[in-house]
Amino acid sequence: MRTSEYVKQQQPVNMAGVGFRRWAQALSKGKGSGISALLSGCRAASGMSKDSLPGPYPKTPEERAAAAKKYNMRVEDYEPYPDNGEGFGDYPKLPERSQQERDPWYQWDHPDLRRNWGEPMHWDFDMYIRNRVDTSPSPVPWSTMCKQLFGFIGFMLFMFYVGEKFPAYQPVAPKQYPFNDLYLEKGGDPEKQAEEVKHYEI
Amino acid sequence: MVAGGLWSVRLVGVMGAHLVRKYATETDTEPDPAKKFEFDPQFGFAERKEREMIATQEQMNLAQLPLEQRDYCAHYLLKLMKCKRDNWPNFLACKHERHDWDYCEHQDYVMRMKEYERERRLQLRKKRIEAQAQAA
Repeated sequence: MRTSEYVKQQQPVNMAGVGFRRWAQALSKGKGSGISALLSGCRAASGMSKDSLPGPYPKTPEERAAAAKKYNMRVEDYEPYPDNGEGFGDYPKLPERSQQERDPWYQWDHPDLRRNWGEPMHWDFDMYIRNRVDTSPSPVPWSTMCKQLFGFIGFMLFMFYVGEKFPAYQPVAPKQYPFNDLYLEKGGDPEKQAEEVKHYEI
Repeated sequence: MVAGGLWSVRLVGVMGAHLVRKYATETDTEPDPAKKFEFDPQFGFAERKEREMIATQEQMNLAQLPLEQRDYCAHYLLKLMKCKRDNWPNFLACKHERHDWDYCEHQDYVMRMKEYERERRLQLRKKRIEAQAQAA
């Protein structure tokens, strides 16, 4: 940290002014040219340093140990993705289990994500959050559930088909309407002579 | 006693017996309401009285009755509608008119049942005659 500004203990300081002055000094001393000189001035210490980012596939046991340490894992647990050109590098291959499967009663640091601080994140973590893909086992075997659902749907479709083939009706003749079965009311041509329909009492 | 026994056999499947007849026992004679009935309306009657339509087409048009309600009981329905219009908001007022319309509709339904039964019996008769002609 540059200590070119000596600040007395209780004196208030305009941090914007401090920042601006340091940026101007960095510009004057900076090695880069153009835009990179303007932007590369100061970075906060809380960002990712280069050695904490994922790297290439580990080939030697020492590289594996270093990678495991980087990801906060035990060397025995650490298993990288196979090196087949898919670009995973040394990122650990964690079990394909959704967050929903984790213990709901344990006091996680992030209860909604069911994850503790510093825990290695799955490659597809954003997919396995509780709002999204869930790998929890079904309460009843999948095949049983499929059989029951499709069995029911198939049965209903079959019964509807049977109902179409053999409809249920009341043992009554069709309803009788006056004026030649409402010829004009149903939109019949007034010029043409309607077919004579007579109804009788019984 | 024997006659009573016979009647009880007939009454098995009190509702839906026509469906049993249509699809199982008498598939060729049981009438289908979806199809036109084949026997002449005057057959078997000395004289049949025509059904009388009392409400006119103009009256039904003015009342804007839906097509399904433009039947032989429409005059009772028009009376009921007038009664309701005149007595609103007393929705309990038109019991007599409603009953008249309901009774007319009931009689209409009973006539439909009789027409169905007539067609069924004529079909059975036709089948019997054909069977006799074949046997002879």
